[in-house]
Amino acid sequence: MNERDSMMRRIKSIDFAMWELHIFLDTHPNDTEALALHEKYSKRRDALVAEYEQRFGMLGMKNITGENRWQWVNDPWPWDITQEVENNVGL
Amino acid sequence: MWVYEKKLQYPVRITNTNPQLAKIIMTQYGGPDGELGASVRYLSQRYTMPYAELKGVLTDIGTEELAHLEMVGTIVYQLTRNMTEEDIKKGGYMDYFVDHTAGVYPAAASGTPFSAAALAVKGDTITDLTEDMAAEQKARTTYDNILRFADDPDVRDPIKFLRAREVVHFQRFGEGLRLATDRLDPKNFYAFNPSFDKKPPKM
Repeated sequence: MNERDSMMRRIKSIDFAMWELHIFLDTHPNDTEALALHEKYSKRRDALVAEYEQRFGMLGMKNITGENRWQWVNDPWPWDITQEVENNVGL
Repeated sequence: MWVYEKKLQYPVRITNTNPQLAKIIMTQYGGPDGELGASVRYLSQRYTMPYAELKGVLTDIGTEELAHLEMVGTIVYQLTRNMTEEDIKKGGYMDYFVDHTAGVYPAAASGTPFSAAALAVKGDTITDLTEDMAAEQKARTTYDNILRFADDPDVRDPIKFLRAREVVHFQRFGEGLRLATDRLDPKNFYAFNPSFDKKPPKM
């Protein structure tokens, strides 16, 4: 696994934990323990995503890296297999 | 509104071509108990749901189902992206191929195109939440059936993740149903539909 994939994996893990808490809180809106945990993960996620976007390009709406190109249209897309896309650069 | 994030909810990385397997997994893309139907079912039911928690659960689970639709589409795509004419013949994929080539189209395993007839919006809180609990179990059964035939570990891993999500969603809808009945007449939950009737009947 390359560095990009391994960072993406960490972001996915934290997003999943946050999402699981999110839908749990939908039916348990007064659970303070779940609320605190969600807040904690949220801070950790912000730092990770900022680092990822700095190095590998846009995940969401904000064009972070490079002012000369709209990073959103760069490969890979989620259904691509990263290594193969990297081998095809220039095609 | 929705905002797209350029990532899958759970990683999918399949290197072995297998159109036969793609054909049965496709049913969770566009079949009767698939992710597309699940998303449309929940996102449509939410408008007339009476309680804030239920609006939240339906919006969020309806949204997560779209992320699952993307995962299933990715599985089908990765299983078929490198197939040869020989693979298509051996895998019994010709019927699908002549109509859609290697495109990803919402159809059931039987080939029937996606139909909204497989989902329901009844406009009754208890009815709709019970439908949603059944829908999660039907999707869970479908994933169990897919796992009987999927022997590639790269395919089994994301399918097992999707199966586990059905179980969690079933739990959340069960809690939603309990939140709803807690606010209704315990002697007769059905006397009054909070999605339509403005006030409870006189006892």
